[in-house]
Amino acid sequence: MITTATRRRRLSPRARILTLAVFALLLWAVVYPNLVVLVESVGGDSGITLRHYAEFFATPAELRALWSSVWISAATVLLSALIGIPLAFLFARFEFPGRRVLGALAAMPVLLPPLVGVIAILFLYGESGIATRTLQSALGLESPPWRMQGASAILAVHAYSMYVYFYLFALAGLARLDPAVHEAAASLGAGRFRTLTRVTLPLLTPTLAGAALLTFMTSMASFSAPYVLGGGFRVMTTQIFSSKLQGATSMAMVETVMLASVSLLVLWPLSRWEGSREYVAPGKGTRAPRLPVKSRWAVIGVPLIAAAGVAVLVLPHLTLLLVSFVPDGSWTTQTLPPQYSLENYAQLFTEARTLRPIVNSLLAASAATFAAVALAIAVGQLVVRWRVRGARVLEGLLAVPWALPGTVLAIALATTHSVSQPWAGRFVLVGSAWILVLAYTLRVLPLTGRAITAGFRQTDPSLEEAAATLGAGAWRTLRRVTIPGLLPAIAAGASLAFVTGLGEFVASIVLYTHRTRPISIEILSQLRDFDLGAAAAYGVLLMVIVALAFTLGQRWIQGGREQPL
Amino acid sequence: MSDRVFLQLENLTRLFAGTPAVRDLSVAIAEHEIVTLLGPSGCGKTTTLRMIAGFEQPDSGRVVLEGRDVTRLAPQKRGFGMVFQHYALFPHLSVGANVAFGLEASGFGKAEIAAKVERALERVRLPGTEQRSIGSLSGGQQQRVALARALAPEPRVLLLDEPLSNLDAALREQTRRELRSLVKEIGITTVYVTHDQEEAFDLSDRIAVMQAGRLNQLGPAEALYHRPATEFVATFLGRAGAVDARAQTPIDGESLRCRLPGDVVWSALSPASGASIEPGDGTRLRVRPEALRFAPPGSEGALSAKVADRRFAGSVYIYTVMVEGGELEVQAGADAARLGDAVGVAPRAAPDGIFAFPLRQPADA
Repeated sequence: MITTATRRRRLSPRARILTLAVFALLLWAVVYPNLVVLVESVGGDSGITLRHYAEFFATPAELRALWSSVWISAATVLLSALIGIPLAFLFARFEFPGRRVLGALAAMPVLLPPLVGVIAILFLYGESGIATRTLQSALGLESPPWRMQGASAILAVHAYSMYVYFYLFALAGLARLDPAVHEAAASLGAGRFRTLTRVTLPLLTPTLAGAALLTFMTSMASFSAPYVLGGGFRVMTTQIFSSKLQGATSMAMVETVMLASVSLLVLWPLSRWEGSREYVAPGKGTRAPRLPVKSRWAVIGVPLIAAAGVAVLVLPHLTLLLVSFVPDGSWTTQTLPPQYSLENYAQLFTEARTLRPIVNSLLAASAATFAAVALAIAVGQLVVRWRVRGARVLEGLLAVPWALPGTVLAIALATTHSVSQPWAGRFVLVGSAWILVLAYTLRVLPLTGRAITAGFRQTDPSLEEAAATLGAGAWRTLRRVTIPGLLPAIAAGASLAFVTGLGEFVASIVLYTHRTRPISIEILSQLRDFDLGAAAAYGVLLMVIVALAFTLGQRWIQGGREQPL
Repeated sequence: MSDRVFLQLENLTRLFAGTPAVRDLSVAIAEHEIVTLLGPSGCGKTTTLRMIAGFEQPDSGRVVLEGRDVTRLAPQKRGFGMVFQHYALFPHLSVGANVAFGLEASGFGKAEIAAKVERALERVRLPGTEQRSIGSLSGGQQQRVALARALAPEPRVLLLDEPLSNLDAALREQTRRELRSLVKEIGITTVYVTHDQEEAFDLSDRIAVMQAGRLNQLGPAEALYHRPATEFVATFLGRAGAVDARAQTPIDGESLRCRLPGDVVWSALSPASGASIEPGDGTRLRVRPEALRFAPPGSEGALSAKVADRRFAGSVYIYTVMVEGGELEVQAGADAARLGDAVGVAPRAAPDGIFAFPLRQPADA
């Protein structure tokens, strides 16, 4: 029987007020600051002017930066796909010793917040990195075999940190496929290759398009890698940052608009492709059997290759851990650091100066998580359950910050909330911790919102109807039935939000002050002081908290499913 | 069963995107009565049930409970219990907490709730399962918990939306019996939705057969079977072959004579819907297999036929025979005829089991 949830319900006056409030809040937080940037980009001393745009297009360096952003992103998608997809097939389709452990380790790069990943790679493959020096001394070279700088360095870091999208998406996509389609293809005489190209890959296309989209957008927005490793090589995000730093405000506005426009230009067709075809296996719940690796070569070779690949992926984490034990100034020209101690960690938690960023990050990330979850629940209720007028717009608003690079978001917030015009919705938030909370909230809103609205869609609306027939009112139903049912989605959304907020760097670098500086900014300044150990210790701390949040979130996700009272 | 109208559906109409899912449906349900809404998927039976529960608002028409219009009343204020197709048990709550849910909402004290939960679970033969988790129950047990949960707050009306459709065949029959005796014992007014005619026959005091959003016929199972109002009812409830004929003369208000190919004349029941068939009109006869017998070809009242299929149906055999202007089914013994035989078929006790319908159903409007 068709469930009849596709029709709009009559809303009570209170529900209407809530709808309007959520709409207004999202418009103010998400759309308004961008409009301010747009207006300022055409603002001159005497009314509207396109002068700044003309200047942008007349400056080769600007155009080069824009082009660099685009080609780096396209190349990142290609590289990430080439690493992530085969890896997903390897772990999803073959059975070999160590598959489970290696499969889980293959997702390790997610544990590294963007800046932390960059410095870990720097410690390993940088000019004076461990791997670089090892190779140099082994080959007896005068100078390092490579320099970790410029476009190739950025690409390497991108591929390392973003192949995970392809890996995880493809893994999930493969798990969702009905194994019967493969059996059907085989029964129709299709060999493995034919099945792969004619059945499996086409079925995976929407999923892979999703991964490509995510990778492209993340790469366009990437700031840490180009900022730390770019050298003279500029992409749009670093270009915006340096304009802002030099006080070229109008140019920064134009650059921001250009970056946002190009991102949206790519997002639009790709997201249509992603949404166009959705294949879901009918809920049989059987998983395709994994092929045991049979040939003698493969029995040894496959696990070996898998292990070697995973080792490459885990080395940065290990390096970070190693360097975090290195006392300040003790590691100079040696291949491996000569001394180790717990000094850095002791310092982290005992000195007010070093503890401050940790407290700042924890508070801001918690506040942003709470705000994003609350907002997402409200939107989920309005969009999925009440099907209010403009539901699609509302859901779209949640996703807008996703399309906008963090740098764009930060510039927009900084521009909007640097003056006090309460009647125009502008408040002086710059300099306070609130602007960081606001920025983090917006940055995590798309992911958290998606997780929670998806949760709403997956919970059977007849549970709430059952509560109603049993006499429960709206509030009671929300508290006793809706939210408990959503716990897995909330756990997923909240843990994502929290870890993103905790390691946030891109927006923070535009919005922080010394008093409000978060962990990522502190890592950068320690790095500048060549206190590598302290920087690494912060990085390890972030890594551990991220891992903890994911594990706890996962626990909670599973716990929420079945929990006898 | 008292004859007092308890729950009345008055001219309910519900449009989905302009097309009516339910059209002008009126049913009066007496206190303690079990009425089944029966029909194929998409006939509007679930939409009707949801309008009774308050999850759907009719575009026109009313739902009246004991003389009071409850059409616009929120579901939680109606005091109707409902068992959902997939039970909609709260997976995060224990069995006991599920059953207690409605009692808590109506503000009973703790001890009272515990006592009522215990009794409700005993009633569905699940005593002492309060602490169990929903996931640890079998499908049949979940169905019974859903029933206990719906009944615990002592609702005024019980609504059941295909509650047995997720059980396997053997369990379904047993559960059906238990459900009927429980509902009868409590004496609660019940509206039951199903597409399974056997369930409807077994459970209901009266059955409302729906098709394409319309009520075709409302009555006890026997009346529907023996005197179907529409061709749809005749074919949806039980088997019925068809043959085209021409109406001759009315015998009385109940039946008429019809001429079949080969100048054979059978008497048939005229439509119970009141649709008139004039002498000379084309008509379609719907004939129950048990209303026919094999007869020597060419004998009195025998239609010449050819045996096209023979199926074993437990205690009897069903023969499909081709006749001019139609295809009939005959219920007979194992050796009554062989495939390909030229035979005659004649009524056993005309007009019983032979229904005449106008060739064109009155146009839907």
